[in-house]
Amino acid sequence: MKIIILKNALVQAIQNVHKAVSSKSTIPVLSGIKMAADESGLRFTATDLEIGIETLVPTLIDDEEIVQVKEAGAIVLSARFFGEIVRKLPGKTVEIEVKQNYLTIIRSGKTEYNLHGLDHEEFPRLPQVAGNQVFSVQSDILKDMIRQTSLAVSSEEIRPVLTGVLFTLKNGNLKFVATDSHRLATRESIVEAPPEMEFTNVIVPGKSLNELGRLLADNDVLVDVVVAENQVLVKMGHTQFYTRLIDGQYPDISRIIPTTFKTGLTVNTKELQGAVERASLVAKESDNNVVRFNIKHDRLEITSASPDAGKMSEPIDEIQVNGDELLIAFNSKFFMDALRVIDSPDLLIEFTGSMSPFLIKLPDNPTYLHLILPVRIY
Amino acid sequence: MEQRTILHLDMDAFFASVEQRDSPELRGLPVIIAHPTELRGVVSTCSYEARRFGVHSAMPTSQAKRLCPNGVFIAPDHRKYSAVSKQMMAILARYTPLIEKLSVDEAFLDVTGCERLFGDGVTMARRIKEDISRELNLTASVGISYNKFLAKLASDLEKPDGLVPITPSDLETRVHPLPISRLWGVGQKSAEQLTRLGLRTIGDVAQMNVTRMRTYLGSLADHIYLLANGRDERPVQPNREAKSIGQETTFAEDVRDVVFLETTLLGQVEKVARRLRQSGFEARTVTLKLRYAPWQTITRNHTFAHPTDLETPLYTAVKGLLAKCGLSREDAIRLIGVTVGNLVPKGTVEEQTQQLSLFDAPTPTVETDPRQQELSRVVDSLKDKFGDKILTRARLVRREEE
Repeated sequence: MKIIILKNALVQAIQNVHKAVSSKSTIPVLSGIKMAADESGLRFTATDLEIGIETLVPTLIDDEEIVQVKEAGAIVLSARFFGEIVRKLPGKTVEIEVKQNYLTIIRSGKTEYNLHGLDHEEFPRLPQVAGNQVFSVQSDILKDMIRQTSLAVSSEEIRPVLTGVLFTLKNGNLKFVATDSHRLATRESIVEAPPEMEFTNVIVPGKSLNELGRLLADNDVLVDVVVAENQVLVKMGHTQFYTRLIDGQYPDISRIIPTTFKTGLTVNTKELQGAVERASLVAKESDNNVVRFNIKHDRLEITSASPDAGKMSEPIDEIQVNGDELLIAFNSKFFMDALRVIDSPDLLIEFTGSMSPFLIKLPDNPTYLHLILPVRIY
Repeated sequence: MEQRTILHLDMDAFFASVEQRDSPELRGLPVIIAHPTELRGVVSTCSYEARRFGVHSAMPTSQAKRLCPNGVFIAPDHRKYSAVSKQMMAILARYTPLIEKLSVDEAFLDVTGCERLFGDGVTMARRIKEDISRELNLTASVGISYNKFLAKLASDLEKPDGLVPITPSDLETRVHPLPISRLWGVGQKSAEQLTRLGLRTIGDVAQMNVTRMRTYLGSLADHIYLLANGRDERPVQPNREAKSIGQETTFAEDVRDVVFLETTLLGQVEKVARRLRQSGFEARTVTLKLRYAPWQTITRNHTFAHPTDLETPLYTAVKGLLAKCGLSREDAIRLIGVTVGNLVPKGTVEEQTQQLSLFDAPTPTVETDPRQQELSRVVDSLKDKFGDKILTRARLVRREEE
């Protein structure tokens, strides 16, 4: 293999796949990045067997030559050394040549590295995702859906399905659900899908989605999502992202989300966010970061107290309350997490009692819903 | 700290004396307060006449019958004793408000500073004894000293009808020759251990090398060393409530059936929990007491994260303790009991929090489950209005009919 590539393109490609490099694998080849050159360009692949990322640097982009392939071939280079080296290279272009015994020469400007590579044949092939279960969604919408739901996945492995985000599709409506059993986030969006396409119980690991979110561009370019038996493939331009799915049955959440409420309030997002954040400063972390809402007919009082630190209270008068008065305690961390991914200026919060889940809704976006279970004080 | 004057008053053979007072025909006879029909029960109290036969309180009734076949066995009448106790405490209250009631017939009085009104400790003790004798026709023994430990020790020295002062200068002559078992906090087990270490009398303890003994005895070494040297700073705590609430049952026949034991426990827990709620306290610990047929008694404790006054957590805890005892079919149980201790006034404990969950059922043994609390409140109000029999658990119904 012998190629010459623009340094910036090389850096970008490595950055794209780098997240899939296994950091603690016992299989040495997985700590590397595979490069394969052919007439279409230079293809980069990394995987930790949980996710896989493949990105192609084409020979030409808009008639500009990016990669010049002088000799086809492939090699695996340690991601740690390769990544560091490439970023520090002095020239505008980089020449990579693979000699015998996987010895790889990297030249740029006056610098020359000789790196020990690994046999590309040992590198696992990314799965061939076959299937006609393909839908298309705008990159920025998919990114937003991930951002608004993945925060609610469970970090505990006791119930593996809860470490993932549930994907369902019906009538062209894609729905994400994530819950760690203390809070639950859902987000829906209409996508471009064949009318008969439908799936349930597709559980995508939350960690994978966070990586995918980083790869997704903030634009309205469509990305294709292929849903197969035990993996999902996302195609974004020249980059493809694979992830394994989580086995198991996702719990039925249809009856968890209350459809009626006893106390409803509309409040300014920023004002509430600030107040809860201030209240959380004296809440005790070891004690569920408890902050209380004391909801009266014309005002909301936010309070918190801890025996060691002291207490805090802050009223918000500019609110609209419907229904009963209520005193409720909850984990302020969950609340702040939820507000962090909300962009609407106002919030609608619906309560059904101090021991029942409450809902955070967006008046301007009915596709988003966040549910939080309160903390019982005794 | 200025020297205090502490009185310890202990009624003499209280239950038996009350019975003898109320039934003159019993005077001079060995009176034993114990359920006459419950051969397997224990003696509550006995008169001094009975003590001459070797009978003492907490002795099995059957043994008392053997030792004193002509004894008069009388079932205890706690209502009556409690009424007399109130009269007695009322007399004490004339002398000082600082009264710590230890039991129905025993109390500490801190009379420091009352000398101008009533005379010194000994004079006051004599006046109290006279009042009790004149008004209640009963006798009491009083110890007078400068701390609680010595006062209590003194009241026991010349029973019945004793009046013993212990001053700092009496320590060596009167206290040090006494056996170590008289030290507060030294039970049978510790006494054996101390004896093995060569400590037989309180005097031995007073002169022991504390640092060395600490390695054998831990904190007990410091504790008994201070006591033996007449140092005890514990204040007299007035209005002290019961330290524990308990229920125990001695079976007519030894029980080998664990389920039956559990049902018995459930019944006991119901009573204990109700009394706990009536007292306005919550318990931090619950103790299971088991007496095996060969009269070996064990106790097992459970401490709650949060104090409780509810049946469910109490029962779950004692049931767990019983399971931990690992009873086999060979183990015959003679007595079983439940006691709650470490009582704290309800609502004084710092609040606890529990994050609710969508999928996991809440733990059933939460010490202060609001629904359980509500249930108990309703059950209590029904029992208050219609009597304790109005409502019970289905599991306990057949037992009560039997």
